[in-house]
Amino acid sequence: MRTITIIILISFFSISTLSAQMERKRADPDGPVEETFLTKNIAGLGTVQLLGKGDLNSMIQHNFGDIRGGIDTFFGIDEGANVRIAFGYGLTDNLNIGIGRTSREDNIDFSLDYRVLHQTKLDKIPVSVVFKGDLGIRTQKESFSLTFQERLNYLGSVMIARKFSDNFSFQVSPMVAHFNTVVKREANSELYNTLLGLGFAGRIKINERKSISFEYLPVIGDRISDTKNHAALVYELETGGHVFQMFLMSGRWFTEQHLLAKTETNFFEPNFRFGFNVNRIFGLL
Amino acid sequence: MKRTVLSAFFVLFTSSFCLAQSFKTEEGKATFYSKVPLHSFEGNSENLTGLINLDDGTIDFYIDLETLDTGNGKRDKDMKLTLETKKYPFAEFFGKLVSDFDPESFSIQDVTVRGTFKIHGEEQEIEVNGTMQMREDGLFITAGWILRLLDYNIEPPKILFIKVDQEQEIKIEALLKPVDG
Repeated sequence: MRTITIIILISFFSISTLSAQMERKRADPDGPVEETFLTKNIAGLGTVQLLGKGDLNSMIQHNFGDIRGGIDTFFGIDEGANVRIAFGYGLTDNLNIGIGRTSREDNIDFSLDYRVLHQTKLDKIPVSVVFKGDLGIRTQKESFSLTFQERLNYLGSVMIARKFSDNFSFQVSPMVAHFNTVVKREANSELYNTLLGLGFAGRIKINERKSISFEYLPVIGDRISDTKNHAALVYELETGGHVFQMFLMSGRWFTEQHLLAKTETNFFEPNFRFGFNVNRIFGLL
Repeated sequence: MKRTVLSAFFVLFTSSFCLAQSFKTEEGKATFYSKVPLHSFEGNSENLTGLINLDDGTIDFYIDLETLDTGNGKRDKDMKLTLETKKYPFAEFFGKLVSDFDPESFSIQDVTVRGTFKIHGEEQEIEVNGTMQMREDGLFITAGWILRLLDYNIEPPKILFIKVDQEQEIKIEALLKPVDG
């Protein structure tokens, strides 16, 4: 009798299980971590955050003279802006291409980002890794005395980033920059065509739409005379299609090879300039 | 002892009969259509999970909202933020078949289900019309209904990448396989 009761109980349990709600399970609990950073750039430093397939990012980057000009230059604003207008496009979720033009030296640059690793939620892959290449060419009239080859500049970078929590991401990016031509500004200047750098970047999320980010790009080893390490402190605001970035930065440029070779102000002195980026992302697919 | 064995067989037979009346999928397709002037798009997921028990008419479906893909990364992100998928990862329906369905017939039959639909932490009683068809490879279902965002307290942020229609058309389609004993 007891056996029958047990069997009936088990059977009822099986039947009632079928009628009960299924356990809700996430489809891909170890899926890729999203939004390590808000955009492809912080102020001037690239990030592992790539555009999704079919996304077009139009970006306008500006900065002004250094704040030491005081009220006479309205803290650098009157000194004129360095502007880079750039477009990036996601060929795939892991491969982005881009083109940009910087008003300084009329430098036109072409970039390529390729993600080889994407951090996953359960840490099967603990970091995201993106290779970045950038090729620039000076196109201002003054450089026409140089050959095409002599006007080229290059960057190669490996960006390694981890989103430690919903609110904190950190990136390290060793990089190498090369200029086919470097020009002496003073007789005793030390010049190097090739420079090494180690970029650091971080993002502290305030809420879904706002964050504070920073970047620091020290030159490692030989550096061009009188140059300083670039740094920036950034307030980021996302409004849906736009990402606005307002910052204080020491470097004058928005391409990393130039930040390594041409930064002349020391952020921690303190001496920096005001700048802002406007990113507008369109979905083309 | 003989009676015990007989009872056990009886119970096992009953159980397996019930199991044969259950159908399940984890690869159903769900689509939503958002139509606004000059900007229409659709989002898809092929991770619709469903269980139908014809014995008691129970219908249980859910979807991981993070699997919805609109074909555009930025739009997906905005959609997930709007639906607060980190806090409410699933959209789910649990209810009963309230119309007749003949599992012996292989023809497409109109059916109605009634139950609770839950998304964004809000529940509403809904009635959904669809079709069910018994096939040799399983039970094929289709259904569609209109989801009104405000009914579920879903309010898109005022400044958004996408314009969002208040009424979203939802369609699902799935082939559910018999659940093995």
